[in-house]
Amino acid sequence: MKILKRDEAIVGVVIFLFGAITTFLSLKMPIGTLRMAGTGFFPLCLGILLMILSAAFVLKLLVQHKKDVIQKEVVAKTPGVIRQMGLFLGAMVLATLFFNELGYPLTSFLLMAALLWSLGMKRWVFNLLLSFITAGASYFLFVQWLKIPLPKGWIGL
Amino acid sequence: MFESLQHLATGFTIAGTVQNLLYCLIGAIVGTLIGVLPGIGPIAGIALLIPATFSLNPTSAIIMLAGIYYGAMYGGSTTSILLNVPGETASVITCIDGYQMAQKGRAGPALAICAIGSFIAGTIGLFGLVFLAPPLAEAALAFGPPEYFSLMIFGFIVLSNVTGTSLLKALMMATVGLIIGTIGLDPVTGDARFVFGSTYLLGGIEFVAVAIGLFGIGEVLTNVHQPQELLDQRVTVPRFRDLYPSLQDLKKSIASILRGAGIGFGVGLVPGPAPVIATYSSYMIERKISKHPEEFGKGAIEGVAGPESANNSACQSAFIPLFVLGIPFAPPTAILLGALLIHGVSPGPLLISQHPGLFWGVIASMYIGNFILLILNLPFVPLFANILRIPKKILLPLVILFCITGMYTVNNSIPDIWVMLLFGALGFLMRKWAYEGAPLLLALVLGPRLEIAFRQSLMISHGDFGIFINRPISMVFLLATVLFLIIPLIRMTLKKQRKEGGL
Repeated sequence: MKILKRDEAIVGVVIFLFGAITTFLSLKMPIGTLRMAGTGFFPLCLGILLMILSAAFVLKLLVQHKKDVIQKEVVAKTPGVIRQMGLFLGAMVLATLFFNELGYPLTSFLLMAALLWSLGMKRWVFNLLLSFITAGASYFLFVQWLKIPLPKGWIGL
Repeated sequence: MFESLQHLATGFTIAGTVQNLLYCLIGAIVGTLIGVLPGIGPIAGIALLIPATFSLNPTSAIIMLAGIYYGAMYGGSTTSILLNVPGETASVITCIDGYQMAQKGRAGPALAICAIGSFIAGTIGLFGLVFLAPPLAEAALAFGPPEYFSLMIFGFIVLSNVTGTSLLKALMMATVGLIIGTIGLDPVTGDARFVFGSTYLLGGIEFVAVAIGLFGIGEVLTNVHQPQELLDQRVTVPRFRDLYPSLQDLKKSIASILRGAGIGFGVGLVPGPAPVIATYSSYMIERKISKHPEEFGKGAIEGVAGPESANNSACQSAFIPLFVLGIPFAPPTAILLGALLIHGVSPGPLLISQHPGLFWGVIASMYIGNFILLILNLPFVPLFANILRIPKKILLPLVILFCITGMYTVNNSIPDIWVMLLFGALGFLMRKWAYEGAPLLLALVLGPRLEIAFRQSLMISHGDFGIFINRPISMVFLLATVLFLIIPLIRMTLKKQRKEGGL
């Protein structure tokens, strides 16, 4: 994948800002002395180091920018891929949100079904059967065999 | 030397009893299974199974737990190769070439060379453990905070040199990892840093969550961010005769295995996450001395053989500081220390004289365990390699389910899953922009130790930075660091000059 240099520079600036925020927050903590460094001393050094590194990175990109022809980004940004990604991420987020309430067996079943569906497995019988088998197998592996305490949820399993 | 051999023979009679052989076998099998499950590494595996050893005598208990340890280390490599999901941090480097080999239909040779390399390295590590334990442990005592600091800096530079194409990007990621590592309680004063009132953040960021997020979830999301046609594409499934390494593969790997074993053994003796540093150092050296360095990162078998051997060897030698000094230098050995204490055994200089049966029995069992792993894992290579037959549309949700389950089991914590998902998204973006996750992860693990070493060194020297160059061992590490930074620059300049001259 070719990467647009302008976008790379933006990532560099974001990292620079992360370093700047770290530096700013570190300065609010006790810095101490070299002999007895305080809580903020080490993160302060790291924040400054990150700012230097990211600034060097962006400068390097700018110098190269003058020499090179800008590369065009070649990425397929089809609506289908974005929708697929959104559904997949959404399923993971929802599963985590309701993990405790639904319990492990039900969450794993619903998560599997949703993830399979988001990836285009639209044959419902196969999808649900596979999700049921996976959820059951992982329940027996983790809960019954390895005796790992996982959320029981309202079904109490 | 003769005395050590006599003790080892006694150890084999202890480890060779039916009961201990059985526990060693159970440990190796359970460890491999735990390692194969993405998300559950040796740390969580040993911690989860300590209660199962309460009814055993100390020797049998440690034999079983040690079996789980190196079994999980081997199993972790399997998921790295097949799914690009490292079971633990030491397997991160195996992902680079192991996963590429799997993508090219060479998962079998990669898995088999792991088993063979681990066995050879384990054998070398065992003899090293028997004969060199006392003098080497004494040498390791010479390490103070400045030496630890310089060693870790050396590790970062080595790592930044090996991963990716841009040294600057790797260094930036290492620094970001160090910053994330400062979240939580200050290791020296105990004051809270960057917690923003959250009690969860007081304990710092769970590195397992970061590891699974960056590598496991990040890889899955990268796959999901593809059109349906690409998702439907099957990975090349190996033919049976391609499942085992060819004679040429073995020839290519043997020197890497021996070098890896040596590096791993040496690194295992010094503080820090030895298997991690050992695998990175081994990979770096293999790439530097290779006649075809361009093949590294694209599925070079030496890139799997060397680091995996180093990993196994480092695991063995990591027992030296644990047994002889009573100091664990890595998280899994720290848990084993806890298990020893639970069983009423205090490791330290007196362990060998007070509990010779335990010391030599465990050492002998390691060799037996390695042999069991070899004969167990080689026949299972086709089975593991066939995981690749599962269509991506089914495999990706399965990986996510195991990642979420595995993550929850570490601390029974939902916030850990959120952290994992967050780093999963970050891992996806990092892949998109060609940033490597390995430097960030290593920095996160080493960060607190680096800070302690840094601040203690300055305390000792009353704020004088000269302490890092005035002490010989520290100076050697720093010189090596400078060399590792300068050599690529010189090479690049020479290449450029040659190119310009040629034009």
